[in-house]
Amino acid sequence: MSKLDNIPVRHQPTEAAGRKRTNPLAHVFDELVKFCQSRSMFMLHYCTGCGAIELPPAMTSRFDMERLGIQPMVTPRQADILLITGYVSIKTLKRIILTYEQMQSPKYVIGICSCTVNGGMYWQSYATAKVLKDYLPVDVYIAGCMPRPEAVISGMRELMSDIKSGRAQNWKRYYENYDHYLGNQQKLFGEDWQTPTDIIAEARHYGLMTDRTLGEHTALLEKHQRPLEALEMRLSAREKQKT
Amino acid sequence: MRPENYQARSQPPSNEFELNFGPNHPGIEGNYAFRVKLNGDQVLEARADAGYLHRGFEKLMEGRLWIQNIALVPRICVPDPVPMEVCYSLAIEEIGGLEVPERAKWIRVMQLEMSRLAAHLFAFGGHAATTGMYTTMFWGVADRDLILDRFEELTGGRVYSIYNIPGGVRRDVPEGFLDRLSSLLDYLESRLPDYDNLFFTNQVFVKRARGVGAMTQEQALKWGVTGPNLRATGLEFDVRRDDPYLVYDQLDFEIPTESGGDALARNLVRRAELKQSIRILRQVIERLPSIEGPIRCPIPNPLAWNVPAGEAYTRVESSKGELAYYVVSTGGDKPYRVHVRGPSSMHAVQVLEKLALGARLEDIAQIMFSLDACPPEVDR
Ligand code: SF4
Repeated sequence: MSKLDNIPVRHQPTEAAGRKRTNPLAHVFDELVKFCQSRSMFMLHYCTGCGAIELPPAMTSRFDMERLGIQPMVTPRQADILLITGYVSIKTLKRIILTYEQMQSPKYVIGICSCTVNGGMYWQSYATAKVLKDYLPVDVYIAGCMPRPEAVISGMRELMSDIKSGRAQNWKRYYENYDHYLGNQQKLFGEDWQTPTDIIAEARHYGLMTDRTLGEHTALLEKHQRPLEALEMRLSAREKQKT
Repeated sequence: MRPENYQARSQPPSNEFELNFGPNHPGIEGNYAFRVKLNGDQVLEARADAGYLHRGFEKLMEGRLWIQNIALVPRICVPDPVPMEVCYSLAIEEIGGLEVPERAKWIRVMQLEMSRLAAHLFAFGGHAATTGMYTTMFWGVADRDLILDRFEELTGGRVYSIYNIPGGVRRDVPEGFLDRLSSLLDYLESRLPDYDNLFFTNQVFVKRARGVGAMTQEQALKWGVTGPNLRATGLEFDVRRDDPYLVYDQLDFEIPTESGGDALARNLVRRAELKQSIRILRQVIERLPSIEGPIRCPIPNPLAWNVPAGEAYTRVESSKGELAYYVVSTGGDKPYRVHVRGPSSMHAVQVLEKLALGARLEDIAQIMFSLDACPPEVDR
């Protein structure tokens, strides 16, 4: 039985659709941006599972990830890396997806621990999601139960070199294959699963629409869409003031 | 500021709002959340929102062999995993009637106290970080790492050792280990005055923590509080002394108490326990070389081991409080039922909800860290 599709495939960089680059210095600027990005990675402070216990040693004096430019960050809007430190229960997975969609692109996901790869020692648990890459595009996996701080740092360095060489483009897969990811999420959370972020509009904005972005699962989004009540109330109040 | 006598100030309703505190929040220990209702920054109502780390341990354990569960149980409480293994092994030994050799008992005590040291260093380091004193956190984590190095030498694993099995321990103590442990203890002891200056007598900490999350002894007993949190209310109760297991009855140690019952008192109890743990470890280092004998008793083939029918309730004193296992066997190769009585499920849910009432928003993190609640163990 082939297990090849379990190995994360590195996505080839694609040019944004229809955008011509005329400035001859554009690629120099690109290189500079990539270098800076790889040297200032802010990772979101969210401990999802037991692998999180090895992060304090990795971040503080002994192993000191800050010397590589990696820092914890408290809000998803300013973070570059989403660290999934261990098993994800279904309740947590919802929050992870909400958080991931709030992060600004380019964003990277690191799956620490065997539990994110294939369920680890909770393979038969009724409460955990087994394979993380079914729900989010994962850039680097760090296997181990639990990985040592050195392993965490080496995974981070892998991601750094991927960013620098432009290979870490997995965040684009979320837009390009949104229907697939949404379908898996709906299987777990029910077909009326909604997130506040409009991924399809973002995909249009980035020029990442493919024929796999929309599909039967995204159609369900519109079917089950609930009106944003609080917003409507405020809008109507303002309209009343105007008249 | 008690739930019984607490009265919210009446304010126009526009001043009240609800806030989700966690799970993605630096002031929360682990993956845990609160929904708080606030008036300004005063908490009117708090609801714990647990379940982010639920894995269904008690069900998983029914589907695995007795010996396989040894690898599963330390995951219940991540910062302090050793008591989990020991307590589960003690239960199986009681059901199966296994006689643990003397040497294994001493090695287990050594591990338990090392784990307590590591967990306490981590706990007050975390508390220091919530009051903005990151240096203490850096020091605590770095010193804890030295203990983890000794764990790695002894067991092969930094955090999860999976070293205790029913009937004893897996391997003997490596050569020269006790000397290295002894010099580590010297180092830790020399650090304690530094920690006092930096943290425990620092006015920044003392003024913020005094009176925060205070409870009386009656309340603590009523709410099921155990461990350092109970001793901080003045009651001298410790499973190690009052219901001795392993070889704690042959050891000489004190049970530190404080009377405040607040965040400050809880931390001071932990500070005093560091000293007692070092004292116990010194006695183990002294006695262990003179205790000869095997490190485990012979057990049947663990892959086809039918533990005789019966049930057992064993308890140990973990760094968070009283930890107990209730194990039922019907004579099969898998447990029929395992129930874990963890200290944190009381501390993090019902106690924290009550202590948070009337506190200020920024003190919730302090209360949580001073109770030293462990979210994976709440959810299991
Ligand atoms: S791989 Fe091991 S250490 Fe990591 S989350 Fe799973 S059980 Fe915990």
